[in-house]
Order: sequence, then C-alpha cells, then structure tokens
Amino acid sequence: MSEPLLSVDDLHVEIASRDRTVHALDGVNFDLAPGEALGVVGESGSGKTMTALSLLGLLPSGGSVTRGSVRFDGDDLIAGGDRKLRDVRGNTMGVVFQDPLTSLNPTMTIGAQVAEPLLLHHDIGKKEAWARAQDMLGLVGMPQPAERMKNYPHQLSGGMRQRVAIAMALVCEPKLLIADEPTTALDVTTQHQILELIDDLRSRLGMAMILVTHDLGVIANRVDRVAVMYAGKIAETAGVRSLFRAPRHRYTEALFAALPEKAVIGATELRTIPGLPPNLAVEQHGCRFAARCAYATDVCRTEEPALTGDDHAFACFHPVPLDAADPLDDVAPGGQRHTPAVTSGAPLLEITDLRKDFPLRGGPFARGRGTVSAVGGVTLTVRKGETFGVVGESGCGKTTIGRMVAGLEDPTSGSITFEGRDLATMTRAERRRHRKSIQLMFQDSTAAMDPRMRVGTILREPLVIQGAGDRAEQDKIVAELLDAVGLPRGAVDRYPHEFSGGQRQRLGLARALTLSPELIVADEPVSALDVSVQAQILNLMRELQRDRELTYLFISHDLAVIRYLADTVGVMYLGKLVECGPADQVYARPLHPYTRGLLDTVNVPDPEAAGDGGTPLGGETPSAANPPSGCRFRTRCPIAQDICAKVEPAVTTPAGEGHQVACHFPLAGGALQDAA
Amino acid sequence: MTGFLVKRLLQALVVLFLVTIIVFLLLHALPGGPARAILGPKGTPQQIAHFNEVQGYNNPLPVQYWDYLVRLFHGNLGESYKLNESVSSLLGQRLPKTLILTVLATIVAVAVAVPLGLLQAVRRGKPADYLLTAGAFLAYATPVFFLGLILIIVFSQAIPIFPAEAPQGTSIGSIFSGFSGMILPIATMALGIIAMFSRYMRSATLDNLTEEYVRTAMAKGQSSRRILAKHVLRNALIPLVTLLGLYLPTLFSGALVVESMFNYPGMGLLFWNAAQGSDFPVLLGVTLVVGVATVVGSLVTDIVYAVLDPRIRSVS
Repeated sequence: MSEPLLSVDDLHVEIASRDRTVHALDGVNFDLAPGEALGVVGESGSGKTMTALSLLGLLPSGGSVTRGSVRFDGDDLIAGGDRKLRDVRGNTMGVVFQDPLTSLNPTMTIGAQVAEPLLLHHDIGKKEAWARAQDMLGLVGMPQPAERMKNYPHQLSGGMRQRVAIAMALVCEPKLLIADEPTTALDVTTQHQILELIDDLRSRLGMAMILVTHDLGVIANRVDRVAVMYAGKIAETAGVRSLFRAPRHRYTEALFAALPEKAVIGATELRTIPGLPPNLAVEQHGCRFAARCAYATDVCRTEEPALTGDDHAFACFHPVPLDAADPLDDVAPGGQRHTPAVTSGAPLLEITDLRKDFPLRGGPFARGRGTVSAVGGVTLTVRKGETFGVVGESGCGKTTIGRMVAGLEDPTSGSITFEGRDLATMTRAERRRHRKSIQLMFQDSTAAMDPRMRVGTILREPLVIQGAGDRAEQDKIVAELLDAVGLPRGAVDRYPHEFSGGQRQRLGLARALTLSPELIVADEPVSALDVSVQAQILNLMRELQRDRELTYLFISHDLAVIRYLADTVGVMYLGKLVECGPADQVYARPLHPYTRGLLDTVNVPDPEAAGDGGTPLGGETPSAANPPSGCRFRTRCPIAQDICAKVEPAVTTPAGEGHQVACHFPLAGGALQDAA
Repeated sequence: MTGFLVKRLLQALVVLFLVTIIVFLLLHALPGGPARAILGPKGTPQQIAHFNEVQGYNNPLPVQYWDYLVRLFHGNLGESYKLNESVSSLLGQRLPKTLILTVLATIVAVAVAVPLGLLQAVRRGKPADYLLTAGAFLAYATPVFFLGLILIIVFSQAIPIFPAEAPQGTSIGSIFSGFSGMILPIATMALGIIAMFSRYMRSATLDNLTEEYVRTAMAKGQSSRRILAKHVLRNALIPLVTLLGLYLPTLFSGALVVESMFNYPGMGLLFWNAAQGSDFPVLLGVTLVVGVATVVGSLVTDIVYAVLDPRIRSVS
C-alpha cells in the first residue's frame, strides 16, 4: 500500500467537565490512503464524532488528546500545535457538519462565507476569491450561484444550505473531506441528492473522505471501508462489502439485526440489544460490549480483545463464525406475524376533507399576506386495533394532522370523527373527557416532560386531571404502567434527566397509556433514538398494542420504521394524502410516482443492492404558502402532463378496493418506467 | 431594505400621532382644567370663563386638538407659568445640552463596554473576568450621585485635573470650548451604563461562542481573534442593540441626578423644577419630547437591528 494520507495511531481523547472525565476515545487506530473513503459508524456516544473532531483539533471545550498521534499529509497534527492545525483546516482538510441551519453564520453573506477559506489559505485578492467561490457554488449544484453569493443563509432551504457548507469545505480543494453526519438533518430526497453530490465531487477532485454516520444505509454504497465504533474503540473494520456480508464482531451483528429494514414487513419482533452502552466516565475492563452480548464468557469480562486481522479486523473473542448464514436471514420473515395485519374492523377515527391553514406572520399593519396550507384536504380512516402509518417529508403536514386529531390544533375545515362522534360538535366539557381516549407520544421526550417533576408525578398527572381514583389507586396504576414499559418501579422517585433517551421514550409511552386510551398518536417516537434502542421501543409498542388492543396513528419520516410497524400506510406530500393502502401493497406496488420516488431514494443498508436504484427524486419541495396548481407533486413528477397542472387528481382505486391513490397517471406495475 | 425603512418610518409617524393625542388629553386632565391651573385658586369664575373663551377652551375637543396640532407644528408649546418664557424656547436651550450629555455618555459606554464584554467572554473563568465582573457589579450597585461624588472628590479635589462643574454657557459652542468640564458628568453617567452593557455583551458573546457557526469558522482555519471580530461580534451586538433602544429614553429623562450634581441645566433640571412648581405646560412639553425620543429611539434600534441582522430585513 502506498504511503497513507492520514494515519491515526493509538488516539486517546478525554473530555473533562466539572465533576467527571469521560474517556471518549481509547486507543483508536486507522490509516486512510489518498482518495480512499472510510465510513465511521456507531451509535451515540461511540466516539465516532470525537474521532472526526480530534483530527482537526476541534474537540468541544474540556476535550483534549491525551495520547497518540495523527499524521496527515506528512505532518504530525497533534505535535504541530494550533498553528499547524489552522494551516490544515479548511485548506487540505475540509469539514461538513451535521446541521446546515446552525453551522452557517446567519449575519454573513453566502459569498463571504464560501470565499473565507480561500482568502485565508491562498494568496489571492478578494475579487479572485469571490470568483472562485462562485464557481464552487456552481459545482455543488446551486442554481444561480451569482445571485446566491449575495444571499444570507436564512434565505436558502436546508438542502441548499448544506450545499453551501460543502462548497465551503471544498473551496480550497482539500485532500481529505470529513463529513460528520452530513445528511442526518435532511429529508430523504434531499439526503440522497447531497450524498450523490459528495460522491460526485469526491471522484472529480480525487479526495479522500471520512464519512461519520449512525445510518448504515448511508454508508452502504458510499465508502470503500467501514470502521464500526463502540464505546470509544473501533470494534470492527473491513471493506464495506465484506462487513455487510459477513460481520464478525458480535456488536456489528446485533446492530444489523436491529435494523427495521431487515425484519421485512414486520414478520417477527426486531432483535434488540439489551441494556445500554457503558459509562465511559468509569474505567473499563474487558470487552466493552460484554455486558450486552449474548455470547459473552468470563474471558470477555476480564480481558480486552485486541483488534486483529488484516483486511477484516475485529476485536472479539467469540466472533461470528465465517460459515454462518447471513446474519440477517435469521431475522427475516418465515414465522408468522405476531399480530395479523388489521385490514378490516370498525373504523375508530375518520378524517374527512381535513384542512389546516396557518396565517403567515406579519405586523399589525400587515394584512393579506396569505396563508400556509399545511394540510390541504385529507380524508382517511383508521380502523380499530390497527397501526396507521403516516409517512412524508418535513413540511408535508403529517405532524399537523396528528395535532388536530389530538385536539391540540383546531381544523380550518373538515371533520374528525372519533368513535362515531364529530369532535367539532362536542362541548368543551365533553371534549375534555374525550381527550383521555386519544393520547400523544412525542419525538423529543426530554422536552416533553417537565424537568422539575418526578416521574411519579408526571405519570400520575393525567389521572389527577381526569379525577381518576384516589392516591393509592393512582400509585397502583403508575406502578403497573412502569412494569408494562419495562422500567423499575423505583423510577417514580427520579427525574426525567436521569434516564437515557430510550428509557425516556418508555416513560413517554407509559404516560400516553396512563388513561388507557383507545388511540395513541405517536409523532416520530423513535427518530431521536439509536438503532438498537429504536428496536426496543418498536417491539414494546407492538407488544402493548397486542395486550391492550391499542390503535396507533404512527407519524414518521422513516419508511423502514413505518413498513415494520404499520398495517396501513398513508403517504403525504405537501399537505395532501397522495397514496393510502395496506402497507405490503403500498411498498411492493406503489401507485403514486411520489411513493415510488421515495422508495427509490431511500438508502438501503446493503452495498449489494446498489445499481438498481430506480429513479430517485430530484428537486425540492415547493413552498406550502404557494402550492403548485392541480397536483401538488407535478413540479417534481417525472411523468407529469399538462392535465396535472390544471386538474387536481381525484382519489381512485386502480389496484383494487382499499388501495387509494390521487394521481392522473397511477403506476401500473409499481415502476416509473412502465408508466412512462 | 428601503421598503423596510419606509414601512418602519410610517409606523413611527403613527405612534408619534398617538403620543400627541395622549399629551393633549393630559393637558385637559389637569386639575380644574387649564384655566384653574393657570389662574390659581384665587381666579374668579368670570376670569376663568374669559380665559376659556380667549384660549379657545370652549370649542369642541376635536377642534381644540386641531388647534393644538397647528400650534405644535409652529413650535408653539405654550408659555411657562413660572419662568415667563415660552416652553419651546426653554426646550430649545435645554434639549441640546441633555442630548450632548446623554449621547456622548452612551457612545463612551458602548465603546468601552463592548470590548470589555468580549474580553470577559474570551477570558471566562480567568482572573480578568472575575475582576471585571466584580467591578461591574460594584459600579452597577453604586447610586449615581455617590459615584459622581467620588469622581468629584478624586478627580477634582484630590487630583485637580477636571472642574467639578459643567460648562455654564447656553450655546453649544461654549459647551465644547469648556469641554474639560464635561468629562466628569459624562464619566459619571457612562460608568453605570458600562457596567450593565458589559454584562450583556459578555453573556451574548458566550452564547455565540458555543454556536456551531463558530466551529465552522474554526474548521476553515480562521484564528480565534479574527473569528471574534469577523463572526461573533456582529451576532453578539444584536441583543445589545435591543437593550440600547429600551434604555435610551430612560437615559434621556434620567439625566436629572447628573445634571443637578454638576449644575448642568438640561432637561432633567427643567423637568424637576417644573414638577416642583406645577408648571404644567413645561411638564407636558418635556413629556412630548421624551415621547418623541422614545419613538425615535426604537426607530433607530430597529434600523440598526436590520443593518446587523439580515433575517429581520426579510421578515419585515
């Protein structure tokens, strides 16, 4: 192998805060050849971001490299000090961060921000720097780059801002690009476009790349090699195909098994990884995964396994045998579903032509600015006992529907009928009583709970409000709830911040269940969780549904999660329900071009699946303040005709009753090519 | 930007119009009406009736308001009961003085407080930060008159470098020719403001330093010093501007203590004396001026705001 571009050797990083020191990295080693792409995957706290940040000397406050070396392009970056690092940053090593909304300076023009590294590292005048910055903006696919140079970040969409961030990182044509979760904050279709762009630029500029992500789907087709991190160490590293085909470390194996994509069409329960990652503030002995590993023996708990192997290295005493069947196969279907798909049954919730307009904000003297049509006439029926999945990108109105169903928002028009009664015709008192039948589960469980209330009080509050039983009875209900969601009864005396994200989501579920509701509106309940924890929550939700005959309105942007959990799926685009039907049918033979595009766009965690990518969606979602005439999807639709701009498509059922689509040209065989 | 300015100016005009209505109504809310206020308790009913007839107080209120507005536009704010001078000429003498004092004190305060706040934020938790924090709290907690006394004792008595009295001339030129006399009043006024503003500047800078765009700037290879100057400063100034806008009218009417201490006859002294002597036309004149100052202050704030923050410009 030629001289590596980057060589990380025995890197140790500590993060000291007032009361404790976290050993974030504990001996990380890897090399990167020029032009090579390395994917670093792991769950939160695994040290993947710390690895990326320490290369640039950008550790958070209190963080420091305590041991080891980083050699880059012939220089020792740790020994070189601040001056050397500043020379490298933005010049030969570029970075793209996760959140394009916060990583750009809000008060500086795009042009000034993109030109900044050029002015710092190259001996050129302002005029030339601006010209080159503008070229770079064009290269990252920014329409009208000359205009955009004068814009400020808030005038651009999230995807466009991430393009700016990439332009900034690449404007000096670095030898190494570090991308730290570059698409995590973006929508599926935008995500795909940004990853394609990075791919394209990488081959054009011939740079090496480190792609840090929690999403196995993102790296599957984008990198040469993968390093799986766990608790501050590299657990396994191999070529991407080799790793996905035959993971050797038990953690990697478990991680793959926990993916909802792998439990095709919700056949069985997802495999979960029990417990939590270790606390890195205390000293670790033995294998860090031992406590959660089904194969751990005494040696795992006392001795630390070394990372051994040449092309495919792993640190495990009891690796997955090479001749094992595909680790994903044993979780694939075969068995019966735990619950048969609910396709018939009494309607519990009926939504008819539901609309919600939000006025655009303006001062007291500003009037007639128009409205944002968040939900533009949605009709759907949720049957008792089923899971109705609402899927769509941000701004499609899925959350607004959930909020209206839960009574947090009043519809502009249309009706919501629950158990045969129209919510709008109820009196205030009736509505109040009625509220207990519909409960909400939120995405951000931290923000959704009063940080100064004990868990017992939080869980009891709904009972107190509805005046259910006396104190002893309430305590009994709370204790039973904690049992049901798998938390110790002692939790009542603790505060929400003392729990991990997954445990807090269990609390969120427990709170939603307190009043024994009929329907739970779950708004992105697992989006903030790591894969292994997400699997635990999804399994728990299923189990509780079976035991308590719950109905879920499950809102998510994640196609795989919806596919795993939902019986019926509704696909939303820009305030409209474009397709709705049994989950298996919608996924296998989508009728709407948008659904097809979404399915083609999503990143499948399987490098072998590359190539048959179909037709990923291009473009950006238009503004809901001024939605396109006719069919709202027509501006991005590959098969749009003149009629689509003139007439709004009616709901039809070309594939049989129960599978609805709102499209003038529904897809026959489920593929775009057939229709065109 | 131009659209924003025009719109904001129109809004300011509307508010000013409302201010005149309020002041006009206040005039009519005087105990016993303006006639009783002017003629005093000894005025006979005949005198009062005559006064009301001559002054137009028998006309309907809208007509009176119109007359009031016309007079206002001609700079006629009425006559002082006590000083035998027109209110407008009194304001004409006093207003520039207060303006000079407060504007200079504010400029000095901002010029000192902004770098101090930045320095404290960068040196957070280090001796310089603690020292400056202690100093700021001390200055903040000390009453203005006491602060002024100390400054007079130290810089006028113990080390006589500045006079203890402000320049007494009535023209603006005389104030600037005797400028050494302005040093202590300005310093007295500025110290308290510096204490307050530097605290805000410190916390705004700290907030911004943890923002991700700062990390992005570091990732470009920018030095800490230039990140502070190029990226953080402008963002950190935004909250300070809000504070300044809210504070300006207070400064304007609150220069009283400093004015009386250094015998500097500005608006504060005028207001104080008028209040003591129930000199209503003067009081209302000052109220009108302070009202205008408030509106202008918030207008200036909004404009500076829009200059600093492009997001404001496009929302409005």
